[in-house]
Amino acid sequence: MKYFAGIDIGSTAIKISIVDENKNLLGFKISASGSMFYKYAQETLDALISELGLNNNDIVYIVATGYGRKLYKEADENISEITANAIGARAAASEFGEIKTIINIGGQDSKAISLDNEGNVVNFAMNDRCAAGTGKFLDVVALKLEMDVNMLGEYHFRSKGTPLSVSSTCAVFAESEIIGLLGNDHGIEDIVCGVHYSIAKRIVKLVKRVGIKEGIYFDGGPALNDGLVNAIENEIGQRIFVPKHPQITTSFGAAIMGVDSYNYENN
Amino acid sequence: MSNTNHNIESPKEKQNRHKAMEAIKLLNTLREDFKEPIESMEYFYDLFERVHCKHESLHDDKTKIGTMCIQIPSEIIYALDGVPIRLCNGFYTDDEIGSDLMPQKACPLIKATVGHFASGNFTDKPDIVFSPTTCDQKTKAGTTIESFGYKLIDVDFPRTKESEASREYWRRSVKQFAVELSKFQGKKLTKTNLRNAIKKIGYAQSLYHKLSEFRKNDIIPILGMDVFLVTNAFFFDKIDNWIEATEKLLSELEIRAKEKITVTGKASPRIIYTGSPPIFPNYKIPQIIEESDGIIVADETCSSNRMFNDMVAVDEWNIYDMMDSISDKYLKACTCPIFTKNEDRIRRVVQLAREYKADGVIYQAFAGCTVYEMEQRSVLEAMEKEGIPILYLESDYSPSQGGQLSTRVEAFIESLKTRRRNKK
Repeated sequence: MKYFAGIDIGSTAIKISIVDENKNLLGFKISASGSMFYKYAQETLDALISELGLNNNDIVYIVATGYGRKLYKEADENISEITANAIGARAAASEFGEIKTIINIGGQDSKAISLDNEGNVVNFAMNDRCAAGTGKFLDVVALKLEMDVNMLGEYHFRSKGTPLSVSSTCAVFAESEIIGLLGNDHGIEDIVCGVHYSIAKRIVKLVKRVGIKEGIYFDGGPALNDGLVNAIENEIGQRIFVPKHPQITTSFGAAIMGVDSYNYENN
Repeated sequence: MSNTNHNIESPKEKQNRHKAMEAIKLLNTLREDFKEPIESMEYFYDLFERVHCKHESLHDDKTKIGTMCIQIPSEIIYALDGVPIRLCNGFYTDDEIGSDLMPQKACPLIKATVGHFASGNFTDKPDIVFSPTTCDQKTKAGTTIESFGYKLIDVDFPRTKESEASREYWRRSVKQFAVELSKFQGKKLTKTNLRNAIKKIGYAQSLYHKLSEFRKNDIIPILGMDVFLVTNAFFFDKIDNWIEATEKLLSELEIRAKEKITVTGKASPRIIYTGSPPIFPNYKIPQIIEESDGIIVADETCSSNRMFNDMVAVDEWNIYDMMDSISDKYLKACTCPIFTKNEDRIRRVVQLAREYKADGVIYQAFAGCTVYEMEQRSVLEAMEKEGIPILYLESDYSPSQGGQLSTRVEAFIESLKTRRRNKK
């Protein structure tokens, strides 16, 4: 059996997926990008290979993707995270049905990708590189509210009042707005809820640029936050699909791409 | 599907949440961001929160008579046992809904009003709507609103006010309005009821006049934004509750005036606000002014001063004379820029500037309100002649424009401070 690795080096986390020849996901691993992308990526890959009981030689093809993809020189191929995301999303959502739109919120950017019936990328929109409406924004908020970022979802659903909107689009200014709200003794729940809605509104604007269609898929680390999922569903007015492991879709897509490239090159 | 089992909001719930978020943001600003908050303002903050955040109806027991402009006489509505609900709207959420139905360059107030009708999302839904043919956009908006299934009646309004013919014309329109409403209500307009209604509204106006007196003082006990909130509440509140709350406010202001409690800084420039009306929650410009150390001491707008300034002046308390006096108040005293000539408005602004010892005037026009945009020229010229500094701004309901506007307002207010210092 031959195995294929997809390495997604993002600004915040490194995500690696390994698939077999039949494109089945065997395992994945996530680690922080930290300051040394290449070193950590290599360590994470080695760890994953040994966890799965494989040898380095079993991996016949590596595809790198993500913001730091060009730093991983050993890769056989590197592709943009938009293409990888589209391939991964279609595979991950096979039991859900046709995917027409992907929302991806990463550590430092957010994207909306529109697909045609064959799953090809027809259009995409990205925010300018800025922390507003990204995972980093949620980190800043959680830090300020002295909670773990995983707790945000829970607080969201505890909000009973009117969500307090945060109007600044800049993460730095938004932080001072949040300080202002805290200073006036507003409930943390309503603040968290308001933050989610302000991100959701920005995301929906982004999705509108590529066109809102049925079959929306949401991935990236922030998709683990079901409060944010709820806010986006409310703003967009329809259910969205969140895969079981929203962080690894792109690396999964890269690994699948590896299978196809390998077969193409060797046949 | 997503792992959450939570329901997705219906479009109505979503609009309500958006509006609630707009409302609470402003109310919290008023409650928290300024020094020396006034206790009795809480009635008004709470009123707006109940209506816009908790979606409480206020008038389940009455027929609700929607009005599209300031010109529909509330006196006649009260006399015929209805509740006037003024539907001029200040929500960005509704502006966005209306934008899909109106030309892009239309005025945000009209877009928001049309958007509100399109959404059908009312806490107190009007049973009938009267639409005076004032500005072009309001006049044409009537048919759009009718197409959503509302009962709407146009009320012919003349656009000159000097001639005797236009006065007669408007008097006929007001009579016709009374006939229509009386038919709709199944009630007759009686002398006693009309007289009582005139007196009650007159009393409410007298409270506004008292409130304004405090703003002539050197030490100003109330923010302009708070006054806008009080006058905006008159659009829809139960009139008796409004009167009681305003009386309480006045007695608190009395004490504050004695104790020299002020909401302003040491040298806050005194501003007259004129132009397109601030309607809750679009207090964008007033908020920028008062957050930049200016204080609005008076205004010349249809959402505030113009509603209360002039009283119905009756000679003989018979029904014909009362009707004519009501008509005259809504035509002759009106300083809306839709009129052909409008020297009254310039006179009013100059008079306000003198009476309230203003340092400057801020003139705001909604982008898309052609008449206010056009009239800025003559008002600016007149102010220059009088030696009163004036700043002209264009804005809309979008929440994102703050930075550019605040720089201009801040610079203007700083220049007023320098000017005052140099005078001394």
